[in-house]
Amino acid sequence: MNTTFVKTLLEPVSGLLLLAGLVLWFAGTWPLLGRRSFLHKLHYLGIADTLGSALMLLGLLLRLNREWPLLLLALLSLVVWNTIFGYVLASCS
Amino acid sequence: MARLITVALRLLIWLLLSADITLINFLIGLLVAVLLPMGRRSRPLPPQQLLASLFSSLTAIPQAYVEAIQLLLGGKALEERLESQRFMGPRSALLVFLEVFRVTITPLTIALGIEPGGRAFRVHRLAPPLPPRQVLPGGEL
Repeated sequence: MNTTFVKTLLEPVSGLLLLAGLVLWFAGTWPLLGRRSFLHKLHYLGIADTLGSALMLLGLLLRLNREWPLLLLALLSLVVWNTIFGYVLASCS
Repeated sequence: MARLITVALRLLIWLLLSADITLINFLIGLLVAVLLPMGRRSRPLPPQQLLASLFSSLTAIPQAYVEAIQLLLGGKALEERLESQRFMGPRSALLVFLEVFRVTITPLTIALGIEPGGRAFRVHRLAPPLPPRQVLPGGEL
């Protein structure tokens, strides 16, 4: 398989994923500044810290595919850790 | 069964962390995974139930992105609600973990903890407002 072809294909996809992650980060973090209840903000925070960061790591996975074991480990721990941390914050509220 | 899953998960983390799948590294990882202390024994886990739970947790991830878009686009119209949701199967530690994961990763619902009876857990949900005088099927708290 032609590597430059794969590279030209993967680069924009990876860029899009990184951008989408960044959009989710800002969209999920902005409501934290508002006056809603703690749990209401936590719903939004889940979008930013888990889903947004997961998209960014997927983007990085396509870009730096030589480092895939560490990035996959980071992705797994990020998804599990952030979700359970959200649960801990919610159950402590 | 739960023991096997724990060992497999530890081995996976070891292999990903070391990024090396030679036989000797695999054996070291297996040894470490078996020798590390285990949690206390939980209730027996029917494999069918585990597979169903695992499948619904995995399908919750794409569902989470759909809900994220719903929340970002129409979040102003949603109202907060407390519900109580029953456990799908027996209360094994792994199944409770998967259930809490499934509920919390989707942005419209967050698990708040297990109810005193232990049969259900509380869920905080953002949902469109109910029409007046309608009772929730799950029973409101």
